[in-house]
This record gives sequence, structure tokens and C-alpha cells, in this order.
Amino acid sequence: MPFVKAQKTKAYFKRYQVKFKRRREGKTDYRARNRLINQDKNKYNTPKYRLVARFTNKDIIAQIIHASISGDIVLAAAYGHELPHYGLEVGLTNYAAAYCVGLLLARRTLKQLEMDAEYEGNVEATGEDYSVEPGESRRPFRSLLDVGLVRTTTGNRVFGVLKGALDGGIDIPHSEKRFAGFNKDNKQLDPEVHRKYIYGGHVASYMRTLMEDEPEKYQSHFSEYIKRGIEADNLEGVYKKVHAAIRANPEAKKSEKPPPKEHKRYNLKKLSYEERKAKLIDRLKALNSAAGVDSDEDDE
Amino acid sequence: MPAGHGVRSRTRDLFARPFRKKGYIPLSTYLTTYKIGGYVDVKVNGAVHKGMPHKFYHGRTGRVWNVTKRAIGVEVNKQVGNRIIRKRIHVRVEHVQPSRCVEEFKLRKVKNDQLKAEAKAKGEVISTKRQPKGPKPGFMVEGATLETVTPIPYDVVNDLKGGY
Repeated sequence: MPFVKAQKTKAYFKRYQVKFKRRREGKTDYRARNRLINQDKNKYNTPKYRLVARFTNKDIIAQIIHASISGDIVLAAAYGHELPHYGLEVGLTNYAAAYCVGLLLARRTLKQLEMDAEYEGNVEATGEDYSVEPGESRRPFRSLLDVGLVRTTTGNRVFGVLKGALDGGIDIPHSEKRFAGFNKDNKQLDPEVHRKYIYGGHVASYMRTLMEDEPEKYQSHFSEYIKRGIEADNLEGVYKKVHAAIRANPEAKKSEKPPPKEHKRYNLKKLSYEERKAKLIDRLKALNSAAGVDSDEDDE
Repeated sequence: MPAGHGVRSRTRDLFARPFRKKGYIPLSTYLTTYKIGGYVDVKVNGAVHKGMPHKFYHGRTGRVWNVTKRAIGVEVNKQVGNRIIRKRIHVRVEHVQPSRCVEEFKLRKVKNDQLKAEAKAKGEVISTKRQPKGPKPGFMVEGATLETVTPIPYDVVNDLKGGY
């Protein structure tokens, strides 16, 4: 083997400074987090809420969180997999579903804080820019959008969550520049296009083009939609019903499953000193017996 | 060229970040709240350039007299000539830590209140004053053997072996 100079010497490891754990995992942008959490010192213990919108491959997670030294505290949360309770069973990660999740989260927090009667928000989703007006007794619930590590392009689904929360009645400072339907040329939001996206219009038009051009692909791609009898034309009606169901009862549903008595272990249990020594002795014994057998064979 | 007496002169090591602690500062510094009248330690964080106190105040402890958006006003004692002046400085929160100097006092206050309440319930009188450590009690030395040491009489002949 040719002589290879060791790249990572002992000195390298001695001097290496690890990044913060969540940065190593690639999950937290500390620069952004710093600016989101920092509260004016002359506001003392007033919490600064952030609306966290995260997307996985099959789910949407929206939470209202405020930070503390012992860890962040979640005030309320809404997930994409809760939408089947409100009548939406397919397409749980698209822009329209993101809007529903944002709306659900907003209504849930307002109900929890007993502000839901005062701050109805925008009942009919028109796609126009809507900001909460201050009510009579209490000031509106204010929070800041936390997108995480996504690239904030126009029409991103995190802004669907934002729009849903705004229409639900939460005060979030925002600009309409990144909503779906914003036109860069004349620098204006086209509310018609935005409304189309909120009601899944982009999905519906894709369904229509597939039905005409490639009916087999339509069957395979939208099989779950077809199974439930959802077609391009009644997609908007489905979403309207979901919005109404969310506004009617935004309470989180408690799971009926009893909590498991013993928690499932996801990583190996750490062995104690005696256990590790015992393991070593067993290994040595096995090695010795194997070596004994080999040396006997060699002798013969 | 002369040495120079700028604000940050002679702070090469003082303001340096400790080994393997460079870069982002943990967010708990931003989350601690400070109240007026509390005590804080001033410890400069070289990574943050704004709102740094002068190197004199590094390591001093003072009272909080003002709280603003991102900084805290601290009142620190400084000896100037033959008197001590109470100096008021404004420092950003990154250069400040909550002081533990009053921690022992607060705990003792709580414990004393508890002891006094118990004594009152029982009807006895106790003193919660701290006493300084007194002289050690007397004791008998155990296992001592007596060895009498006497000086050897001076022997002229043997001791002047070398030369005289």
C-alpha cells in the first residue's frame, strides 16, 4: 500500500470545535433563531411567539412556540395528518392543505386563549391580502413566521400556512411578495391566482390536463382521489367544507389508545461496567477456544 | 512607534474567546431576564463587538439600574485616586452574566425564615446568626512515646578531623 499521509491527525481532533448539535444535524439555522427569539430586555418575561411551519415528505407540522432556557414550549400544534378528521383525506401536503393546517392552528390557539369569538379572521378565503384588525378588549395574538431552512420562493407552501393562520385571525407581520400569484413584473398580488391555489385549483387543472392527455397516468397518479370520488370540479367544494369544519370545531382530538406501559427503545441500552467486562471475557474465551482449535489443526 | 492607549489596548488575551468556544454564542444569554436592583457580573464576550464595556470593568460585579432594549445599565464601583466612585455604564446583554453573589444570602434568608417559624411553633427562642469558627477544642495526644534527646558532649579530637 502506498504511503498515505494521515489527513486527520490526532492534533486535528484535539483542536476540532464541534458546531451546535442541531447545526450538526442540519435542523436549526441559529442565525435566524437568534433574531426570532431575542426579546427586548425591557419587555422582561413577555413571550415572543413564533409560528413554526415545517414540511416532511408526507406531513405538515405547524406549531406556535415560545422559547425558554429549559427548552422551547409549544402553545398549540396542528398537523397535516389531522385533516382527515375534518374531511380531507388526500393531498395532505399541497398548498391547499397547508392553508387548512394554518387555519386549524390559528383557530385552535385562539380558542385556547378564548379569543376566537373576537377574532374571526377572514371567513371567506378570497386570496387577497388580509391583516387582522385590533378588536375591542384584547390586542390580537401576535406571532412571527419561522420557515426553518426552506428557500423562501414565491408560492412556497410555508406561505400557504402563513395565509391560513392570517385568515384564522392571528397577527403575523408579512408582505404579499411571496404568496402564490404575486406578479414580479407589475409587483402586485393577483388575488384570483392565490385563491385558485388556496382551493387546490392548480391540482384541479393538472387533473384536467391528465384526464385529456394521459388517462392511464391520471388513473395511477390520482387513484386515491378517484377512490373517494373527488374530481377536478368538486375539489373546491371539498376544501370549502374542510374550512367550515375547521372553524366549527378546531379542538385537538385526544387519541383513544392508552399510553404504552413500557416505552419502545429506539437505541441500544448502555451497558454497565460489569456487563462490558463480562462481554470482554466471553469474547476472549471464544477467541482462545477458536485459537486453541486452530493451533491443534496446525500441529496436525 | 509609541505603544498606544486606545480603548481596547492590552486586551489581546483578555477579550479572546476561550479554546474551542468560538463562533456562535449560546442563546441562553439572550433569554435571561434582568431586573433593576439585581446583581450582575460583567464579562466581556469578544465575539460581539457592540456594547462592549471598557476592559477595566471586565470581572466587576455591579447592580442593575436600567434596562433597555438590548442592553443593561450597570452601576460599578471604581477607585479613582483616593475615593471610590459609583460608575454607571451601559453594557449589551452578551457581556453580562447573572451574579451568584446574592444566591447564598437568599437561600439563608429562606432557611432562617423557616427555622424561625418552626421555633415559634414550638415556643422556643433561637438565634439564626452565623457564628465564626471558634478555636479548636483541646484533645489528648494518643500513642505518644517519650524519647529524651540529650546533646552529645563535644569531642575535640574527632570533630577536628579535617584540619585545624
